[in-house]
Amino acid sequence: MALRTASVPIPSSRRFRLPRDAGLGYLLLAPAILLLLMLVGYPFLTAVVMSLQKKLIGQAAAPFIGLDNYITLLMDRTFWIVVRNVLVFAGISVALKLIIGTAVALALNESMPARGIIRSIMILPWALPTLVAVLIWMWMYSDVGGVFNSVLMGTGAIERPILFLSDPVLAMASVIAVNVWRGFPFFSITLLAGLQSVPSDAYDAAKVDGAGIYARFRHVTLPGLAPVMAVVTLLSTIFTLNDFAIIWLLTRGGPGNATDVLSTLTYKVAIRGLELGKGVAVSVLMLPLLIVLIVLLTRFINKREEAG
Amino acid sequence: MSDAIRVASARTEAHSFAGSLRRERMVKLTLQWSVLGTALVVVIFPMYWMLLTAFDPPSLSYTSQISLLPKRLTFSAMSQLLREYDFLLWMRNSATVAIISTLLAVVVGTLAAYSLARLRYPGRGFLAGVFFLAYIFPATLLVVPVFVILSVLGLTDDYIGLVLSYLIFTVPFCTWMLRAYLTSIPPELEEAALVDGATRVQAMLLIILPLAAPGVAAATIFAFTLSWNEYLYAFILMTDSTKMTLSPGMTKLVFGDIFLWGMIMSGATLMSLPVVLLYFVAQRFVVSGLTAGSVKG
Repeated sequence: MALRTASVPIPSSRRFRLPRDAGLGYLLLAPAILLLLMLVGYPFLTAVVMSLQKKLIGQAAAPFIGLDNYITLLMDRTFWIVVRNVLVFAGISVALKLIIGTAVALALNESMPARGIIRSIMILPWALPTLVAVLIWMWMYSDVGGVFNSVLMGTGAIERPILFLSDPVLAMASVIAVNVWRGFPFFSITLLAGLQSVPSDAYDAAKVDGAGIYARFRHVTLPGLAPVMAVVTLLSTIFTLNDFAIIWLLTRGGPGNATDVLSTLTYKVAIRGLELGKGVAVSVLMLPLLIVLIVLLTRFINKREEAG
Repeated sequence: MSDAIRVASARTEAHSFAGSLRRERMVKLTLQWSVLGTALVVVIFPMYWMLLTAFDPPSLSYTSQISLLPKRLTFSAMSQLLREYDFLLWMRNSATVAIISTLLAVVVGTLAAYSLARLRYPGRGFLAGVFFLAYIFPATLLVVPVFVILSVLGLTDDYIGLVLSYLIFTVPFCTWMLRAYLTSIPPELEEAALVDGATRVQAMLLIILPLAAPGVAAATIFAFTLSWNEYLYAFILMTDSTKMTLSPGMTKLVFGDIFLWGMIMSGATLMSLPVVLLYFVAQRFVVSGLTAGSVKG
């Protein structure tokens, strides 16, 4: 009773309390914001400045050269190959992760024996360190004793080992496979949660109307799941576009430039090639695409927050 | 007469409805088990292969005769790894860096999250967006300037430099995740406390924090995992073998022409143990935490 009567005078006292809240609000936020300014804001500005300079590792002098780094890159054929690679890599990986993640989420949504255990096992590829996942697949792909080649050769299916990582065509498929293996649980777990928030009455109504499995999926499941799918897909795309470890460790971007992506190119140009300014410019050129993705993502998240 | 026909036709309809339901159930089960069966094999086999290689390491002669089952079990690869490389040092360094950055991120993040979730002030929405942006900001863009800045400060090859680098993503991540979690806690509880005369801070510490414990636990686990698994910054910043974390350390094992897979897989197994254990112990938190940002409620 005391609670209920107390809720009446709150609005006016809350308005009266606002300035005090504001002070505490900013205060609590301050450490985090300060850290972000120092660790994200400042490096970002430094990066932009660096990209406009001819800055090399080991040299103190960094002459301002304006947009030269960018122009050189945009006119370099290799750069566009790398752009194509990263789009292919991210595009196919995310699409596969979405499809597989949805399928697994749908399968896990039904009650069944050992569902909990199966669900726990399904998270494992995502829980493992990326490095571990990459090393395991590197070993499996190996043309010297790796299990894929050994089994294929042992059963006589092939005569010589398949060069999963050094064949120009296969290499991209191989790295995509690892990314998908590692990343699909993120989709399946999130989509499973999304599935469980689709009201079951909608399904019952559809069943009564005579809708079969496929029709129910298309008209009840998909619309309900679409917002979550959008958020997860956009998030995963952003992260996949930035992935470094998988490609670097498996192929170093090779053979040639076949699997080079913007992140590995940045490393090669800036750290290996000692051209810091140019290397940073490579990453900055990724920003337009990222901004588009981020704007889309923010819109979908806000829609979710309003609806939920 | 018409009643009997009506009942009969209703019964036929019910039968065919039940029949189609049963058929549907069969189709569903088949689909379900084929998907899960394939997925389980694909998920489990690589991990099984890692363990098999670690405890039944292949001989250097790489005969193409390969068995999918262990012929013997031995710790020889693992002990060789621990003897010949600074593996234990790497592990200790990974743990140190992960624990420190996690603690800092969770503390700072919880305060910031509470502020963003509960208090009102101009610019709140914008500031919340800033954290999200910071989290998804491409690491590849930041790593070069961070490397340069830390070099100037003399903090490369130093765990402090790495901790600072990890705060770049752990702080925004914890803030974002905890904010989503805190907004799902009904505000009535605090309001009641405030009316009873508690200060905001008291309400936050005594009421909200205990309630938010699962969310904080999830954030802690995630942040630890992010730091433990991190590759790019560790690889670029740490070059001294005694200061390295596991990521660059393990990379040392795969550079060059001869790969000693037994040792590498032993290292991989050891590196996975802490995070896998964490996930199994705290699964519920993990799932709820993971979905807090993407799915509401």
